[in-house]
Amino acid sequence: MSAPVLELKGLQVSYAGNRALDLAGLAVAPGEVVGVVGANGAGKSTLVNAVAGWSRGAPRVAGPITLDGERVDAWPTHQRVRAGLVLVPEGRVAFGRMTVEDNLSAAFAAPPAPGRRVYSRDEIYELFPRLEERRLHLGAQLSGGERQMLGIGRALMMGPRVLLLDEPSIGLAPKMVSQVLETLRALARTGLAILLVEQNVRAAIEVVDRLLLLERGRKVLEGPAREVGDDPRIAEAYLGAAA
Amino acid sequence: MTFLQQIINGIVLGHAYALVAIGWTLLLGVARLVNFGHGQMYMLGAFVSWWAVTKAGVPYGLALPMAMVIGGLFGLVMQRIMLKATFEQNLVSIMIMTLGFGYVLNGGAAMVFGSTGQILETALSTREITLGELWLTWQDAAIVVAAIAVFVSLKWILDASRVGRLVRMVAEDPKLAMLAGINVRWVYYGVFAFEGAAVAFAGGMVAPRTPILTSMGFDEVIMTFVVVVLGGIGSVKGSYVAGVALGLFTALFGALVSPAYTTAAAFLVLIAVLVLRPGGMSAGSAAGVH
Repeated sequence: MSAPVLELKGLQVSYAGNRALDLAGLAVAPGEVVGVVGANGAGKSTLVNAVAGWSRGAPRVAGPITLDGERVDAWPTHQRVRAGLVLVPEGRVAFGRMTVEDNLSAAFAAPPAPGRRVYSRDEIYELFPRLEERRLHLGAQLSGGERQMLGIGRALMMGPRVLLLDEPSIGLAPKMVSQVLETLRALARTGLAILLVEQNVRAAIEVVDRLLLLERGRKVLEGPAREVGDDPRIAEAYLGAAA
Repeated sequence: MTFLQQIINGIVLGHAYALVAIGWTLLLGVARLVNFGHGQMYMLGAFVSWWAVTKAGVPYGLALPMAMVIGGLFGLVMQRIMLKATFEQNLVSIMIMTLGFGYVLNGGAAMVFGSTGQILETALSTREITLGELWLTWQDAAIVVAAIAVFVSLKWILDASRVGRLVRMVAEDPKLAMLAGINVRWVYYGVFAFEGAAVAFAGGMVAPRTPILTSMGFDEVIMTFVVVVLGGIGSVKGSYVAGVALGLFTALFGALVSPAYTTAAAFLVLIAVLVLRPGGMSAGSAAGVH
């Protein structure tokens, strides 16, 4: 396996003094899809948000984060994004008052680099034909699935090295879930590293290479998806999430 | 004076109101900020123009950009100091700080420019256009043209340019804008510099209509507030319409009823509009800039 593109060594995150995440380490290689699963409040979103240096709250984050061997943990969000650490957050991913076309306009020109594919708007339309049909609609007029496509599309236009996805399947119809997840698998085949937070463990197992199970902010299990997929603790987290 | 003359006065006054308000419209729409030092920044623009023309002998056409640069720089300094409160959307702190900046500017201007009233005369303000019984100065005509040009350009930049798209992203959701790779801090700086430069430009354009004093600014900030809220927060088109409507209302009310009660009457209209259409005249559109 090639050198990791994203590496964390001892990541700690707390909200108002309460420890939300304490992770010893995590590495994601190019072309690899790592799934992060666990019950509500296990720290999954906290993890991907901390990697992106982003939050709608006010967390305290400590611990080294490297992208291609370079420390990025002191960088502001936009700088990490420009370097290729791109997050599609949970919930609001579309600008509701802008058209799909305007939503799909990059704020910067990502520098061409090996392993950094910058998608054009037309390529996004090819990937998600539904978005082209709705290109003049406002973000607020889109369905949940279309918004997720828009969020992923905008992320790809920024030439991500690592794509961080927070529950892209939430609120989607089962058919849409498999379409989004299959798209991710196809993107990974082009060399993109993906860190995927997913409530829908059963669907996630189908597409991820490795699975990371979090429980109350700590890693309780990590391994290749086909090996740990049958672990009772994973099933428990899945049932817990489904309940 | 004839009714038609009052309409002309109202149109000129209305464009002046709109021009003075445009910076605040963008500020409120994009950064959700208020600036109660806005009126004193208007005063600064007027006095820098006056100083440049009268004392330094700079042509009026150069005095205006000078005033804009100084206004823009002042806006940048203010934003630098208030940056943390801006990101936290701490509106109470920002209200008090901007009010404070206004008073500091008042005092500073009195020290530099003196506290006596001055007249800013330009080549345009001393020449009149007459149409039968009707008249206005070339300065008045220039205010109308400048206001229209500023509003049309701003609207175009926001709607159709790349920068405008980024600004609209920040206006709608600054957190999500960061994830689009936008340096939100620089957008806030840019908006504040625009606010400072625009109101200084308005000061240089509108001030030749009346004597200027370093203690002025309160009336301007109040009228700006009415225009921005009436037009619908963040709405460029709404501010223009509200500015012109308020100018016509003020001129006609002043002529037909009494000039002493125009501000009170303007606020009665504002309160009525807010009760009937809480989002202002462009109600129905959510927060943002458009």
